[in-house]
Amino acid sequence: MRPVARCFALALAMLALTACVSPPAARYQPAIDNTNILLRQGIRLGVGKFSAAVGVSNHSLAVRGSQLTGGSDGTFSTYLHDALVTELQTSGRYDTSSQLLLSGVLTRNELSSGIGTGTAAVGAEFSLTRNNEVCFKKTLLAEHKWDSSFIGAVAIPAAFSNYPTTVQKLLGELFADPDFIAAVGASTGSPGS
Amino acid sequence: MSVSSWLSRLFRFGVVLAACAGFTGCMTVKSYVDPTLPVISKTELPKVQQPQPVTVLFEFKTKGNNNARATNELSGRVVEDVTQSGMFGQLSTTVTDPNGALLRITIDNVADQKDAVAKGVGTGLTFGLAGSLVTDNYICTATYTMQGKSYETSVHHALLSTIGNHSPPQGLTPLTPKEAVNQIVDQLVWHALTQLDGEYAFRVGSL
Repeated sequence: MRPVARCFALALAMLALTACVSPPAARYQPAIDNTNILLRQGIRLGVGKFSAAVGVSNHSLAVRGSQLTGGSDGTFSTYLHDALVTELQTSGRYDTSSQLLLSGVLTRNELSSGIGTGTAAVGAEFSLTRNNEVCFKKTLLAEHKWDSSFIGAVAIPAAFSNYPTTVQKLLGELFADPDFIAAVGASTGSPGS
Repeated sequence: MSVSSWLSRLFRFGVVLAACAGFTGCMTVKSYVDPTLPVISKTELPKVQQPQPVTVLFEFKTKGNNNARATNELSGRVVEDVTQSGMFGQLSTTVTDPNGALLRITIDNVADQKDAVAKGVGTGLTFGLAGSLVTDNYICTATYTMQGKSYETSVHHALLSTIGNHSPPQGLTPLTPKEAVNQIVDQLVWHALTQLDGEYAFRVGSL
């Protein structure tokens, strides 16, 4: 029986190892809900620097032995920066010459795929400056859950796929934040919303 | 360890490896497009008298959650479907005129994944001998907004997949998963546009 058991273990190991991958996070896609919010606000913004707070996972997130890696430069703070630019560009609200400049610090970055439920949490401290003076500073957090399989080949891609969704939620929190809206001096009710 | 014993073990490992490789052949996935939704061809689409420029926003969801990877893979197809419909003027995927026309399209895959996984496990444990049939339901919601007026419609479609040793659904042609998904996306978009045209949505701004 022992050789048979070893053979079975080897076969299982081979199947399990196929799940160990380290892809970059999927290219960020703007959320239609976020575009709707931005279209209602007559704002135009530039995007400044984004970094990560000490102790926050900025290069990779482990999910059952696989690793999700960050954005274009391998960091999740840049992923958040690029996501913000994408959202603003899609809604026609990105303006590199704007007096308003939005920067941020990644304060929380977690991803897990438990058996039954997967969870992600992404938080950031956003700072908005108008003519180099801070007019808004707030830490926001988005938490997200989804059904997670006990089979790694199903659960790992699902977790990786839900990370950008969590970032979409975080940016949605920002765009809908009453203090943010007041700070940018947005005029609401634009047509097309 | 003797050479004969070592060769015997090597042979057993070889048999296991060959079996692992061979079993994957039993787990073939075949896809079929559900025939419930009538097939509409490009030439059957309604003609719009004065096609307006439009911004197209697309989002793919899985059970209500945005799915960035699938959105990446399918957004080009959706935009191409809208272009091919001939019902619009210039198309953009970013808003250039906040007062211009907006077409928002979401496709939500509402498959019961727990059921699909349970069936998949059964099929997997029998190495494909106990085949299974899984249904993925798709709901497309399209919203057209122009000059403050919004029109919304939805279309349902389904993808049937057989895994392992399962008889095909009667009268349906097997396709690769990619071919089937492409057909489903085309039909969802074209049916949604046809329904919106039926509500006279595309006449706003052209009168």
